[in-house]
Amino acid sequence: MTPTEGFLRHGSDTYIANFAETEREVLVNLVQQIIEILAERHDQANEDPLAAMVGITTHDSPPDDEVLLRLLPNAYQDGVDAAEFRRYTESTLRDKKRAHAMSIRMLLLSATDGDIVLDFENAQAWLGGLNDVRLALGVRLRVDQNSHEDLELLAPDDPMRAVYAVYTWLGWLQETLVEALMDEANS
Amino acid sequence: MGKLKPQPTVSEETAAEISAIFSSDRPWVVVVWDDPINLMTYVTYVFMTVFGFSKEKATELMLQVHNEGKSIVAKGAREEMERYVQQLHEYGLWATLAREDQI
Repeated sequence: MTPTEGFLRHGSDTYIANFAETEREVLVNLVQQIIEILAERHDQANEDPLAAMVGITTHDSPPDDEVLLRLLPNAYQDGVDAAEFRRYTESTLRDKKRAHAMSIRMLLLSATDGDIVLDFENAQAWLGGLNDVRLALGVRLRVDQNSHEDLELLAPDDPMRAVYAVYTWLGWLQETLVEALMDEANS
Repeated sequence: MGKLKPQPTVSEETAAEISAIFSSDRPWVVVVWDDPINLMTYVTYVFMTVFGFSKEKATELMLQVHNEGKSIVAKGAREEMERYVQQLHEYGLWATLAREDQI
Protein backbone atom coordinates (compact mmCIF):
# COMPACT_ATOMS: atom_id res chain seq x y z
CA MET A 1 0.00 0.00 0.00
CA THR A 2 1.48 3.32 -0.99
CA PRO A 3 0.41 6.06 1.35
CA THR A 4 -0.72 9.26 -0.28
CA GLU A 5 -0.75 12.49 1.68
CA GLY A 6 -3.33 11.47 4.23
CA PHE A 7 -5.73 14.08 5.54
CA LEU A 8 -5.13 17.77 4.93
CA ARG A 9 -7.14 20.67 6.24
CA HIS A 10 -8.80 22.98 3.73
CA GLY A 11 -10.21 26.21 5.12
CA SER A 12 -11.65 26.22 8.61
CA ASP A 13 -13.88 23.18 8.61
CA THR A 14 -12.93 20.75 5.84
CA TYR A 15 -10.58 17.77 5.88
CA ILE A 16 -9.70 16.06 2.63
CA ALA A 17 -7.94 12.82 1.77
CA ASN A 18 -7.65 10.66 -1.31
CA PHE A 19 -7.87 6.89 -1.09
CA ALA A 20 -6.48 4.43 -3.61
CA GLU A 21 -8.92 1.71 -4.61
CA THR A 22 -7.17 -0.96 -2.51
CA GLU A 23 -7.05 1.34 0.53
CA ARG A 24 -10.75 2.01 0.14
CA GLU A 25 -11.56 -1.71 -0.08
CA VAL A 26 -9.45 -2.57 2.95
CA LEU A 27 -11.00 0.13 5.11
CA VAL A 28 -14.59 -0.64 4.03
CA ASN A 29 -13.98 -4.28 4.90
CA LEU A 30 -12.52 -3.40 8.31
CA VAL A 31 -15.31 -1.06 9.40
CA GLN A 32 -17.82 -3.64 8.20
CA GLN A 33 -16.23 -6.09 10.62
CA ILE A 34 -16.49 -3.57 13.44
CA ILE A 35 -20.21 -3.15 12.66
CA GLU A 36 -20.64 -6.94 12.71
CA ILE A 37 -18.75 -7.55 15.94
CA LEU A 38 -20.79 -4.82 17.68
CA ALA A 39 -24.00 -6.40 16.36
CA GLU A 40 -22.94 -9.76 17.82
CA ARG A 41 -22.97 -8.21 21.25
CA HIS A 42 -26.42 -6.81 20.57
CA ASP A 43 -27.90 -10.04 19.24
CA GLN A 44 -26.63 -12.39 21.91
CA ALA A 45 -28.72 -10.72 24.58
CA ASN A 46 -32.45 -11.08 24.85
CA GLU A 47 -33.21 -7.43 25.11
CA ASP A 48 -36.32 -6.35 26.91
CA PRO A 49 -37.88 -4.11 24.22
CA LEU A 50 -39.06 -1.52 26.72
CA ALA A 51 -35.68 -1.35 28.46
CA ALA A 52 -33.95 -1.22 25.06
CA MET A 53 -36.14 1.75 24.09
CA VAL A 54 -34.80 3.81 26.98
CA GLY A 55 -31.25 2.60 26.40
CA ILE A 56 -30.97 0.05 29.20
CA THR A 57 -29.32 -3.26 28.33
CA THR A 58 -30.34 -6.41 30.10
CA HIS A 59 -26.83 -7.81 30.01
CA ASP A 60 -24.32 -6.25 32.32
CA SER A 61 -21.37 -8.63 32.25
CA PRO A 62 -18.29 -7.60 30.29
CA PRO A 63 -17.92 -9.09 26.78
CA ASP A 64 -16.00 -12.40 26.58
CA ASP A 65 -14.34 -11.46 23.30
CA GLU A 66 -11.18 -9.47 23.96
CA VAL A 67 -11.73 -7.13 21.00
CA LEU A 68 -15.27 -6.32 22.15
CA LEU A 69 -14.00 -5.83 25.69
CA ARG A 70 -11.48 -3.27 24.40
CA LEU A 71 -14.19 -1.46 22.41
CA LEU A 72 -16.68 -1.59 25.30
CA PRO A 73 -14.46 -1.50 28.39
CA ASN A 74 -15.41 -1.56 32.06
CA ALA A 75 -15.84 1.91 33.56
CA TYR A 76 -15.00 0.73 37.09
CA GLN A 77 -12.40 -1.68 38.37
CA ASP A 78 -15.01 -2.90 40.84
CA GLY A 79 -17.17 -5.56 39.16
CA VAL A 80 -20.48 -4.54 40.74
CA ASP A 81 -20.12 -0.86 39.84
CA ALA A 82 -18.89 -1.80 36.34
CA ALA A 83 -21.97 -3.97 35.75
CA GLU A 84 -24.33 -1.24 36.92
CA PHE A 85 -22.68 1.35 34.66
CA ARG A 86 -22.70 -1.05 31.72
CA ARG A 87 -26.40 -1.76 32.09
CA TYR A 88 -27.24 1.93 31.63
CA THR A 89 -24.61 3.03 29.14
CA GLU A 90 -23.35 0.19 26.95
CA SER A 91 -26.06 0.37 24.32
CA THR A 92 -25.40 4.10 23.84
CA LEU A 93 -21.68 3.45 23.47
CA ARG A 94 -22.35 0.63 21.00
CA ASP A 95 -24.65 2.87 18.94
CA LYS A 96 -22.03 5.64 18.84
CA LYS A 97 -19.32 3.25 17.68
CA ARG A 98 -21.64 1.76 15.10
CA ALA A 99 -22.46 5.25 13.80
CA HIS A 100 -18.74 6.08 13.50
CA ALA A 101 -18.09 2.90 11.50
CA MET A 102 -21.16 3.55 9.32
CA SER A 103 -19.98 7.08 8.56
CA ILE A 104 -16.63 5.76 7.33
CA ARG A 105 -18.29 3.02 5.30
CA MET A 106 -20.89 5.26 3.71
CA LEU A 107 -18.46 8.01 2.70
CA LEU A 108 -15.94 5.53 1.29
CA LEU A 109 -18.60 3.76 -0.75
CA SER A 110 -19.96 7.01 -2.18
CA ALA A 111 -16.56 8.64 -2.82
CA THR A 112 -15.83 9.77 -6.36
CA ASP A 113 -12.26 9.00 -7.49
CA GLY A 114 -11.42 8.08 -3.90
CA ASP A 115 -11.86 11.66 -2.65
CA ILE A 116 -13.09 11.90 0.93
CA VAL A 117 -14.27 15.28 2.19
CA LEU A 118 -15.10 15.57 5.88
CA ASP A 119 -16.67 18.39 7.85
CA PHE A 120 -15.81 18.77 11.54
CA GLU A 121 -18.54 16.41 12.71
CA ASN A 122 -17.61 13.69 10.21
CA ALA A 123 -13.96 14.16 11.11
CA GLN A 124 -14.80 13.33 14.75
CA ALA A 125 -16.71 10.22 13.65
CA TRP A 126 -13.77 9.12 11.47
CA LEU A 127 -11.28 9.73 14.24
CA GLY A 128 -13.24 7.50 16.65
CA GLY A 129 -14.02 4.93 13.96
CA LEU A 130 -10.41 4.65 12.75
CA ASN A 131 -9.32 4.28 16.34
CA ASP A 132 -11.79 1.44 16.91
CA VAL A 133 -10.33 -0.43 13.92
CA ARG A 134 -6.80 0.14 15.28
CA LEU A 135 -7.89 -1.10 18.72
CA ALA A 136 -9.36 -4.25 17.18
CA LEU A 137 -6.25 -4.95 15.07
CA GLY A 138 -3.92 -4.04 17.94
CA VAL A 139 -5.62 -6.51 20.28
CA ARG A 140 -5.34 -9.29 17.67
CA LEU A 141 -1.69 -8.41 16.99
CA ARG A 142 -1.03 -8.42 20.74
CA VAL A 143 0.85 -5.14 20.52
CA ASP A 144 0.96 -5.13 24.32
CA GLN A 145 3.30 -8.14 24.27
CA ASN A 146 4.95 -7.82 20.89
CA SER A 147 7.22 -4.85 20.29
CA HIS A 148 7.21 -3.03 16.95
CA GLU A 149 10.53 -4.71 16.25
CA ASP A 150 8.94 -8.15 16.78
CA LEU A 151 6.11 -7.26 14.43
CA GLU A 152 8.45 -5.83 11.78
CA LEU A 153 10.26 -9.18 11.76
CA LEU A 154 7.20 -11.32 11.04
CA ALA A 155 7.85 -13.83 8.25
CA PRO A 156 6.60 -12.78 4.80
CA ASP A 157 4.13 -15.68 4.76
CA ASP A 158 2.78 -14.93 8.23
CA PRO A 159 -0.79 -13.63 7.80
CA MET A 160 -0.20 -11.26 10.73
CA ARG A 161 2.40 -9.43 8.64
CA ALA A 162 -0.31 -8.05 6.36
CA VAL A 163 -2.45 -7.19 9.39
CA TYR A 164 0.48 -5.28 10.87
CA ALA A 165 0.96 -3.39 7.59
CA VAL A 166 -2.69 -2.29 7.69
CA TYR A 167 -2.36 -1.39 11.38
CA THR A 168 0.62 0.90 10.75
CA TRP A 169 -1.08 2.43 7.69
CA LEU A 170 -4.17 3.26 9.78
CA GLY A 171 -1.98 4.75 12.52
CA TRP A 172 -0.37 6.99 9.95
CA LEU A 173 -3.75 7.95 8.46
CA GLN A 174 -5.23 8.73 11.86
CA GLU A 175 -2.20 10.81 12.77
CA THR A 176 -2.66 12.99 9.66
CA LEU A 177 -6.30 13.59 10.64
CA VAL A 178 -5.36 14.45 14.24
CA GLU A 179 -2.71 16.88 12.99
CA ALA A 180 -5.17 18.51 10.59
CA LEU A 181 -7.66 18.94 13.45
CA MET A 182 -4.98 20.21 15.86
CA ASP A 183 -4.02 22.92 13.36
CA GLU A 184 -7.50 24.23 13.74
CA ALA A 185 -7.50 23.89 17.51
CA ASN A 186 -4.44 26.14 17.59
CA SER A 187 -5.60 28.81 15.21
CA MET B 1 -13.51 -7.42 88.46
CA GLY B 2 -14.87 -7.56 84.93
CA LYS B 3 -13.30 -5.93 81.92
CA LEU B 4 -14.18 -2.36 81.28
CA LYS B 5 -16.67 -1.96 78.51
CA PRO B 6 -14.91 -0.25 75.61
CA GLN B 7 -16.06 3.28 75.20
CA PRO B 8 -16.20 4.67 71.69
CA THR B 9 -14.25 7.86 71.55
CA VAL B 10 -15.69 10.43 69.22
CA SER B 11 -13.01 12.97 68.58
CA GLU B 12 -13.53 15.64 65.97
CA GLU B 13 -11.35 13.67 63.58
CA THR B 14 -13.40 10.51 64.06
CA ALA B 15 -16.62 12.44 63.56
CA ALA B 16 -15.26 13.83 60.29
CA GLU B 17 -14.22 10.34 59.16
CA ILE B 18 -17.65 8.97 59.97
CA SER B 19 -19.51 11.72 58.20
CA ALA B 20 -17.24 11.26 55.16
CA ILE B 21 -18.25 7.59 54.95
CA PHE B 22 -21.88 8.57 54.56
CA SER B 23 -21.35 11.66 52.49
CA SER B 24 -22.05 11.40 48.77
CA ASP B 25 -20.05 14.46 47.78
CA ARG B 26 -16.61 12.96 48.23
CA PRO B 27 -14.79 13.57 44.98
CA TRP B 28 -14.56 10.99 42.24
CA VAL B 29 -11.75 10.91 39.75
CA VAL B 30 -11.31 9.87 36.14
CA VAL B 31 -8.21 7.74 35.55
CA VAL B 32 -6.79 7.21 32.07
CA TRP B 33 -4.57 4.13 31.72
CA ASP B 34 -1.68 3.63 29.35
CA ASP B 35 -2.27 1.37 26.41
CA PRO B 36 0.11 0.56 23.58
CA ILE B 37 -2.35 1.17 20.75
CA ASN B 38 -3.62 4.74 21.11
CA LEU B 39 -1.37 7.32 19.45
CA MET B 40 0.17 9.98 21.68
CA THR B 41 -1.09 12.85 19.52
CA TYR B 42 -4.55 11.30 19.48
CA VAL B 43 -4.71 11.04 23.28
CA THR B 44 -3.59 14.69 23.53
CA TYR B 45 -6.29 15.75 21.06
CA VAL B 46 -8.98 13.80 22.95
CA PHE B 47 -8.00 15.50 26.26
CA MET B 48 -8.22 18.91 24.56
CA THR B 49 -11.62 18.09 23.03
CA VAL B 50 -13.31 16.37 25.99
CA PHE B 51 -11.96 18.56 28.82
CA GLY B 52 -11.18 21.78 26.96
CA PHE B 53 -7.53 21.63 28.12
CA SER B 54 -4.82 23.70 26.44
CA LYS B 55 -2.42 21.78 24.22
CA GLU B 56 0.29 22.16 26.91
CA LYS B 57 -1.87 20.77 29.70
CA ALA B 58 -3.22 17.95 27.51
CA THR B 59 0.32 17.01 26.43
CA GLU B 60 1.51 16.99 30.04
CA LEU B 61 -1.29 14.60 31.10
CA MET B 62 -0.74 12.40 28.03
CA LEU B 63 2.96 12.10 28.92
CA GLN B 64 2.04 11.19 32.49
CA VAL B 65 -0.19 8.39 31.18
CA HIS B 66 2.61 7.24 28.89
CA ASN B 67 5.45 7.40 31.43
CA GLU B 68 3.70 6.50 34.68
CA GLY B 69 1.05 4.12 33.38
CA LYS B 70 -1.89 6.27 34.40
CA SER B 71 -3.05 9.81 35.09
CA ILE B 72 -5.92 11.41 36.95
CA VAL B 73 -7.43 13.74 34.38
CA ALA B 74 -10.57 15.01 36.14
CA LYS B 75 -12.07 15.22 39.62
CA GLY B 76 -15.58 16.03 40.79
CA ALA B 77 -19.10 14.74 41.27
CA ARG B 78 -19.75 11.14 40.32
CA GLU B 79 -22.33 11.81 37.58
CA GLU B 80 -20.08 14.31 35.86
CA MET B 81 -17.10 11.92 36.01
CA GLU B 82 -19.27 9.12 34.59
CA ARG B 83 -20.14 11.31 31.61
CA TYR B 84 -16.43 11.96 31.01
CA VAL B 85 -15.61 8.24 31.14
CA GLN B 86 -18.41 7.56 28.67
CA GLN B 87 -17.00 10.19 26.29
CA LEU B 88 -13.46 8.83 26.64
CA HIS B 89 -14.76 5.35 25.83
CA GLU B 90 -16.43 6.73 22.70
CA TYR B 91 -12.96 7.87 21.62
CA GLY B 92 -11.49 4.49 22.58
CA LEU B 93 -9.36 5.61 25.51
CA TRP B 94 -8.98 3.23 28.41
CA ALA B 95 -10.58 5.15 31.28
CA THR B 96 -12.14 4.23 34.61
CA LEU B 97 -13.55 6.15 37.53
CA ALA B 98 -13.03 5.69 41.24
CA ARG B 99 -13.30 7.46 44.56
CA GLU B 100 -10.35 9.76 45.02
CA ASP B 101 -9.16 7.92 48.13
CA GLN B 102 -9.26 4.54 46.39
CA ILE B 103 -6.68 5.33 43.73
